[in-house]
Amino acid sequence: MANNKMLVSFFIASESIFFLMLILAYVNFHGDVIDGPTAENSLNPVKTGIFSIFLFASSFTIWLAGKSIKKKDHAMLCVWLLATIILGAIFIFGQGMEWASLIGREITISRNVFATTFFTLTGFHGFHVCVGLIMLSILLGLTIAGDFKGPRSDGIECVSIYWHFVDGVWVVVFSVIYLWAFL
Amino acid sequence: MEKLGGVFNASSPEMTAMAGLTLYMIAIAVVIFVIIAASVTYIIIRYRKRSGDESEPYQDFGSTTVEIIWTVIPTIIVAILFFLTVKTMYAVDPPKGDREPDIVIIGHQWWWELYYPKSRVLTANELHIPVGEKWLARLESVDVIHDFWVPELFRKIDLVPGHPNYIWLVTGKPGIYLGACAEFCGLQHANMRIRVIAETRDEFDAWQLGQLKIPTTPTDGEAAKGAELFQDRACMNCHYISGTAAAARIGPSLTHFSTRQTIGAGVLENTPENLKGWLLNPNAYKPGSLMPNMKLSDLEADQIVAYLEALK
Amino acid sequence: MSRIPLVPENVEPLPSIGESEGLLSWVGSIDHKQIGIMYIIATLVYFLIGGLEAILMRIQLAHPNSSFISPEIFNQLFTMHGTTMIFFVVMPFLIGVGVYLVPLMIGARDMAFPRLNALSFWLFLFGGLLLYYSFFTQSGAPDVGWFAYAPLSEKPFSLNNGPTYWAIGLLASGIGSIASGLNNIVTILTLRTPGMTMRRLPLFVWMILVTSFLLIFVIPIITAAFFMLLLDRLFEANFFNPASGGSAILYQHFFWGFGHPEVYILVLPAFGIISEVIPVFSRKPIFGYEFVAASTVAIGLLSLGVWAHHMFAVGLGNVTNAYFSLASMLIAIPTGVKVLNWVATMWNGKLRFYNPMLFAVAFIIEFVIGGLTGVAVASVPIDWQATDSYFVVAHLHYALFGGSLFAIFAGVYYWFPKITGRMLSECLGRWHFWLTVIGFNFTFLIQHILGLVGMPRRVYTYPDMPYWGTMNLISTIGALILGISVLIFVWNVIVSLRNGDPAGDNPWNAWTLEWATTSPPPVFNFDRVPPVRGRRPLWDLAHPDMPDEK
Repeated sequence: MANNKMLVSFFIASESIFFLMLILAYVNFHGDVIDGPTAENSLNPVKTGIFSIFLFASSFTIWLAGKSIKKKDHAMLCVWLLATIILGAIFIFGQGMEWASLIGREITISRNVFATTFFTLTGFHGFHVCVGLIMLSILLGLTIAGDFKGPRSDGIECVSIYWHFVDGVWVVVFSVIYLWAFL
Repeated sequence: MEKLGGVFNASSPEMTAMAGLTLYMIAIAVVIFVIIAASVTYIIIRYRKRSGDESEPYQDFGSTTVEIIWTVIPTIIVAILFFLTVKTMYAVDPPKGDREPDIVIIGHQWWWELYYPKSRVLTANELHIPVGEKWLARLESVDVIHDFWVPELFRKIDLVPGHPNYIWLVTGKPGIYLGACAEFCGLQHANMRIRVIAETRDEFDAWQLGQLKIPTTPTDGEAAKGAELFQDRACMNCHYISGTAAAARIGPSLTHFSTRQTIGAGVLENTPENLKGWLLNPNAYKPGSLMPNMKLSDLEADQIVAYLEALK
Repeated sequence: MSRIPLVPENVEPLPSIGESEGLLSWVGSIDHKQIGIMYIIATLVYFLIGGLEAILMRIQLAHPNSSFISPEIFNQLFTMHGTTMIFFVVMPFLIGVGVYLVPLMIGARDMAFPRLNALSFWLFLFGGLLLYYSFFTQSGAPDVGWFAYAPLSEKPFSLNNGPTYWAIGLLASGIGSIASGLNNIVTILTLRTPGMTMRRLPLFVWMILVTSFLLIFVIPIITAAFFMLLLDRLFEANFFNPASGGSAILYQHFFWGFGHPEVYILVLPAFGIISEVIPVFSRKPIFGYEFVAASTVAIGLLSLGVWAHHMFAVGLGNVTNAYFSLASMLIAIPTGVKVLNWVATMWNGKLRFYNPMLFAVAFIIEFVIGGLTGVAVASVPIDWQATDSYFVVAHLHYALFGGSLFAIFAGVYYWFPKITGRMLSECLGRWHFWLTVIGFNFTFLIQHILGLVGMPRRVYTYPDMPYWGTMNLISTIGALILGISVLIFVWNVIVSLRNGDPAGDNPWNAWTLEWATTSPPPVFNFDRVPPVRGRRPLWDLAHPDMPDEK
């Protein structure tokens, strides 16, 4: 059997470098803006922090999904996959609200270097979350249709690895953008 | 037999140091190359398979001792080269300290704006500098990245928008030195040329005084008509001539234009015929030049030439 | 006599390719051999186009103040020439030949992820087609240099769509390359036939492995830079535009953070080819296998830390310059070790000068020149004269043409029989070889001097300075000779495909596993994989009294 987990693991190592570059760009320009929107005066860390908790919780639920398939508990597998999707979707909804609020205040990607790096970094992260949600939905659909009887599934394990990665990236991004500005 | 320029005609103490290191490095490289090439040549002759001999040679898998030796020796060579590198680098480019620049070089697509802050002279493309004196240059750009390169005199340095750079300029012998922009900057990168005129202090002072004199606007003849045209035909929207209303710095300063050696940052020699041709259609000589074709008539071009040539 | 171990069976059989011939079977193929062949053919076409671009430029530069080609076209030519040769010739050729050979060399049936393999190929092909489509648009091909420095590549300095096509085409191709890297890593780590430990891997496979790690870690860097450039160009973002707070220098750090390891991606597999060819044609094992493998890993790691030696003239400060200078000089050491190992392999051998060996030996000479001029420009004060001049053009062509391309030719002559079942003509090959050596050195040797006397690069014309015209003319004549040599090579390929001598399984009497099957190999690669008890399984089979490992 092709080693799918190895592939996904090296893949997320590669994607980490991509995110590292976006983070470095953000860090490079941090503090450059004298007047105009910055992290301190434009972002709401508490609100975003709350939505982040939903994302972190979804890592927990997908872990539970993994345990369910090991126990061949088909019903709970469906439940935890669905929970993961819902939690991830809530996070994306929160991101969308934050973006809408910024754009409503005329803070768009072209505004200044803070806005450019902020939207790029959170945008690519959000994109990766959405890709994850699509994959999770496919898994959920297949599970409901009767697949993934367990106890092992490369599909569930690989998507899990990817999902934890996406979460891990958010830990770093949240710290760099929100915590660094406000602490 | 013409003289080769560049590293073979080092005309400043910095360049002499850099050329020295370059030629020293080339010498080492040649020695190493000869050793390898000679070994390979020897091997391909000596160890060629002889016809009829189908046996296999001794199967030698390697030798740790040999590997260590031929790792250590290059390491030593690298260490020496690095030491020389750092020494030369700091000799050529010592820290700028608190000194104010003696010349500010501003890169434009595709010409060089030159400003002497101490005397307030503003000129373009041809850098006069007194021989032997150690000057500090500040280099900036208003548009894209350019690079200031006068191979016989100075190290290369980029002109980066948003990131001013500083280099030392020291010349050794008087003369005219040619250089070029060395960072691709768009359509006419090839025609963004530099002239450095290194002269004695007296000659430099005389030149500087001449540049500071406000040229008298001609009042009669073709030159006067040219002066009027200069104001009417929007030349003054881009060009600067001290003592007149033309104060823009979008294009090169034309004060004392007749003292310049070339037109268009090195594209044409500065003669009245060439100047007329340039005025009638700059893009014929420097396609893509940002100076538009002002659709001058023949007569108008003559008049403006007369005016510019009168700006001594 | 122990059972000969078979290749591990897939649990699910691969979809069968079936007996269907014709174009459609190739388009839908997920067989690594077909994909490898498609890579090789596509790169040959891109090579001819890139070469034509070069010859047009050389004709323009043959005389000072020439107007054969306008600056608009010239700037597109050098941008496309560099982009094509790097991203659509050397890189995909090496990836493609790797895709063909790695499963065979490790005794596997295919890559670990055959569909991913096909995706990589099609992304590469279509990325290139998108890039070349730009020539047919109103604003033309990209004209900002293969590295597209900001802010020149951004608005308002670059208002045409060329650089946008460039960035998107390369993005697509780059994603394909990351996929190839991932595929190679998993294939090499998990699909080796029993007995083939990592210490017994053919050196070509080692080089592909290290290259694949480089690919997956450095292409994301340029991917990020391309996205940022596109955001700037299309959505008025501010990453690299100094006028709005961005940083032109940041772009260079990102670009060269990728760009420098990229040149090792372009050369390490070439080293792998040489490491296969020289032992076989010297009839000896490679001298110092462990040192060649270890030095490859060292080069891979070091290559990640030297990028700013492309930025010595940017004004980063002398402490930064000194660090990058030292790191760049250090890379010369493991590279030199390799060269010495190849020379030592030939020593005391019984050299057979078939075409692969001719190119391999020439490679050593040419690459040493390229490497030595590389050490020269690693020295900051020398670089302050040489960077952005024809000296660097000479250096990079000695490394990438005299190095990678000569190795590629050696590989083509070596493996063409395996891939097609026919031998390339030795006679035509010799003509190709000598014309290439003469043409190449005529073109590029003199450019070292042109750079040292002050000719900058990327110029569509130059003034009539002493001897510049003569030197450029010599270079152009060399380029025309090279053009002829390429035509002879293409002719050789065409003629040999039709009428070449049948190759048999192992025409070179070589020792690695790809020679243990028919030429061309069957769909499933091997009837039986020979036992692997050393680095040279076929040597061990032929010399049971003198195996490599006792």
